[in-house]
Amino acid sequence: MSLALTGLGVTSGIAIGQVHRLTPGELSIPEYHLGDDAVGSELDRLHKAFGRGEKFLADLLARMSKEITETARDLLEAHRLILRDPMLIEGTAERIRSKRINAEWALVQQADQLQAEFRRMGDEYLALRREDLEQAVGLVRRELAEQPALFVSTQIPHRLEATIVVAAELGPAEMTVLAQRKVAGLVTEHGGPWSHAAILARSLEIPMLVGVHHALDLLDEGEAVILDGHYGAVLAGADESLFAHYREKREASQRRRIELRRYLGRPSVTRDGQAFSLLGNADLLPDFERCREVGVKAIGLMRTEYLYLDDALPDEDTQYRAYRAAVEAMQGRPITIRTLDAGGDKLPAILGFTKGPNPALGLRGLRLSLSLGELFVQQIRAILRASVHGPVEILLPMLTRRDEIRQARNIIDRCREELRAEGMAVDPELPIGGMIETPAAAIDVDHLAGELDFLSIGTNDLIQYVLAIDRSDELVNYLYDPTHPAVLFLLQRIQQAGARHGCPVTVCGELAGDERTARLLLGLGLTRLSMPPAALPAIKKSLLEASAADCQQIVREWLDSSQNSAEQGLLERLSPE
Amino acid sequence: MISRPLTLSNRLGLHARAASKLVQTTARFDSAAWLSHGDKRVNAKSIMGVLLLGAPCGSELIAEFDGEDEAQALEALEALVNDRFGEEQ
Repeated sequence: MSLALTGLGVTSGIAIGQVHRLTPGELSIPEYHLGDDAVGSELDRLHKAFGRGEKFLADLLARMSKEITETARDLLEAHRLILRDPMLIEGTAERIRSKRINAEWALVQQADQLQAEFRRMGDEYLALRREDLEQAVGLVRRELAEQPALFVSTQIPHRLEATIVVAAELGPAEMTVLAQRKVAGLVTEHGGPWSHAAILARSLEIPMLVGVHHALDLLDEGEAVILDGHYGAVLAGADESLFAHYREKREASQRRRIELRRYLGRPSVTRDGQAFSLLGNADLLPDFERCREVGVKAIGLMRTEYLYLDDALPDEDTQYRAYRAAVEAMQGRPITIRTLDAGGDKLPAILGFTKGPNPALGLRGLRLSLSLGELFVQQIRAILRASVHGPVEILLPMLTRRDEIRQARNIIDRCREELRAEGMAVDPELPIGGMIETPAAAIDVDHLAGELDFLSIGTNDLIQYVLAIDRSDELVNYLYDPTHPAVLFLLQRIQQAGARHGCPVTVCGELAGDERTARLLLGLGLTRLSMPPAALPAIKKSLLEASAADCQQIVREWLDSSQNSAEQGLLERLSPE
Repeated sequence: MISRPLTLSNRLGLHARAASKLVQTTARFDSAAWLSHGDKRVNAKSIMGVLLLGAPCGSELIAEFDGEDEAQALEALEALVNDRFGEEQ
């Protein structure tokens, strides 16, 4: 029987392979009392379990390739220290001795007590993260159970090139092992497109679907499946012709990737002599390396939300290291760092805000940052400190008003002064730009441009707000239309305001990285496009072969005419053939 | 047995990363190690103990070591604290 499960594609790639299910299985906690003569052997069992858990993590760290993130490495190091912690080991052993109870029971009691002590501390900044202790203790419990002893190492086969791993959720340790073993594709039941696992998969270009409900129940071990990231579907029980179709599709896209590489070295100028710039979007270090490989001149958008995904907030130094690593990876090419763009559907739980009645219109983007006070200061300080190592620009998300820019500038100025007093030479001219992604910002763009050094258009949000369409709402998403005259009018308005104020305008939403719409932007005079590095080669080819004058002509006619519903749509008219 | 007062001068105090470095340092030596802050005294080889001190920047700590290599251990810890745990300021 054939079956199609849907979820959300993290990348648009295709993977074909056999299902391997990762099921940690719920561990029960046996509770029993020991006879006097059993205490010694129980203590031995406890120490051996800790030892094996610790050795597993040590091995994993030693084998870890450099592509794995600093965050994952830090997490694993922290877990390792917990497994060597005398308070945990000795405390558990003491319970075994004094209460005559088994190791599992004693361990859980001791861990609970430590969790309670951390909760009482009340300072979440200095405390240990709940999940770190849980995960580390989980390793020991598995060892004690002598059950799938170690989830990651023993359950994951060594060769995964033709394997699609299905799991409830994937953590940093699993992702590390899976990526190293070159997994073909990933399917998780939970987790969103901005989870650690998803960001890492995107960065490493591993096809992945998240939010596939009941995948573990519905997909059988060893079953051959097709993962189509573009349509967000896993196809099981497909017939041979469908497999052949997808194999062909996968090979064609690989061939095309190789073919497109030859355009990368060419100067970025259209057929009729219009220069354009292609920039990269990046989160993690591998993204920056990919950006360099495809020859970007700058990073148009470095998102910082991933730093806030954890249970604990990133301190200034953690952020500074991440930004500095990015700056160094780009070797002198400028990086635009966007300050925390949380809120809406991605409000980190840790910030302790409850969702407002309408998150899309609520506390998000710069509004959230300005209300965070010290946390925003930490981020700005970290960015400014990193700017000493190479060119950096700051990008403020979700603007609606001029005074928001002034408030942010005041904070940036204050941080700069503080750092100067601490002996750090921060560039006084460090450019500050704003995201134009709300109707208010787009309509009032002249005033905003007067206070900013550059503009960046977030087309995803802008289109969503202008058309009042949530693209994830299946009942209305057929109305999502980037060629809607209202959208084009605003894009044109932003471009013109940028030109008047000498503010460079970059487009960094999905429209920039989509072959179907890049020429539309060219036709609007928007020639700085920032996109994921994987999209760049195809966009470059499309623009090299385009005529800017023709594109402008077509867009102008479209805007002037009342035939927006003409048989041939705008995008078809702009496309090469 | 030797002991010495130390002042935390890194901006963030004994947060997770600093505590990790501290424990990695004390664990290199055979001597037993304790750290006190106010009325709390913990095993300085325990990451959770060190974190439970909840010591912010500016805290006065007392480090104690007992064992053959206590002098070297104290020296190493003092160097780490004075170097502000390698955090760039």
